[in-house]
Amino acid sequence: MADVSVPSLILFIASIVIAAGVAGVLIDTVTGISGSLDDRGADVAENIRTDIEIISSSEPDVYNASEGTVTLYVKNTGRQTLPATGQTFDVIVDAQYRANVSVAVAGDASADEWAPHDVVEVTINDLNLDDGDHRVTLVVDGDEEVFRFNL
Amino acid sequence: MGFGVSGSTAVIFLGVLIASGTLYTAAAGSAEQITDARDGKGEDLLDRRNTDLEITKTVYNQSTDVLELNVTNTGTTTLSVNGTSLLVDNDYVTPDTTSVDGGGSTDVWGAGDVLVVTATNNSTPDRVTVVAENGVAASNSTIEVS
Repeated sequence: MADVSVPSLILFIASIVIAAGVAGVLIDTVTGISGSLDDRGADVAENIRTDIEIISSSEPDVYNASEGTVTLYVKNTGRQTLPATGQTFDVIVDAQYRANVSVAVAGDASADEWAPHDVVEVTINDLNLDDGDHRVTLVVDGDEEVFRFNL
Repeated sequence: MGFGVSGSTAVIFLGVLIASGTLYTAAAGSAEQITDARDGKGEDLLDRRNTDLEITKTVYNQSTDVLELNVTNTGTTTLSVNGTSLLVDNDYVTPDTTSVDGGGSTDVWGAGDVLVVTATNNSTPDRVTVVAENGVAASNSTIEVS
């Protein structure tokens, strides 16, 4: 009897250990996927809530030739409060990415939050634009706005 | 062997149960957040489509440098006075006073109501633009000078 039960016991314990290992790996993997899914859901919801609108008119005076800057007013028409810094915006002028961007809340330059309904003044520096048509693309949290003007 | 098979099956079944519970919670939570955001976006879009503004009068007083605008909410959405922005000659200007149908301290700009905005400007402007909270804009280049 002992001859039969010892190997059976060993096999029993081995099968339980392997099953526990498999279940552990499964739970660990699914927990990781769940965490990513949660983060992704929050990001997508944030992107949907974000909406901006360039309210400046398409006139040549948006470009300041002596300082080499383009100044645009952008209104937060979404439901998301955004940080009022240059990092919030991805700016492309005439197919070139511009990193030197400064942002200030219009009417309250010291504020660092861009609340819904507020307007920010976006200044794109280090520009040297020729006469002709130009195109500025602003991207905030996946929301893309295009501004075209002629000099 | 019999106990081993049923024992390990039970352990794996338990593992699958816990994993599907976690996955379902996360998926349902994400889906709810996205649905909420989409609902909000849909409501905002409806408000935007029901919004319309018209600048009915723009008067610039040269002696006092005061610009006065009458803007009518010709849509059906009730707008916020504080959420409305004013651009004079493409520059952002903070209004000095705002009033809706004579009431000075209100933030409610209902359908059909006239918003009177005054602002100080050093010269006669060429163009004024009023932008509602949701981005709908009205512009006027005909400025009366008094």
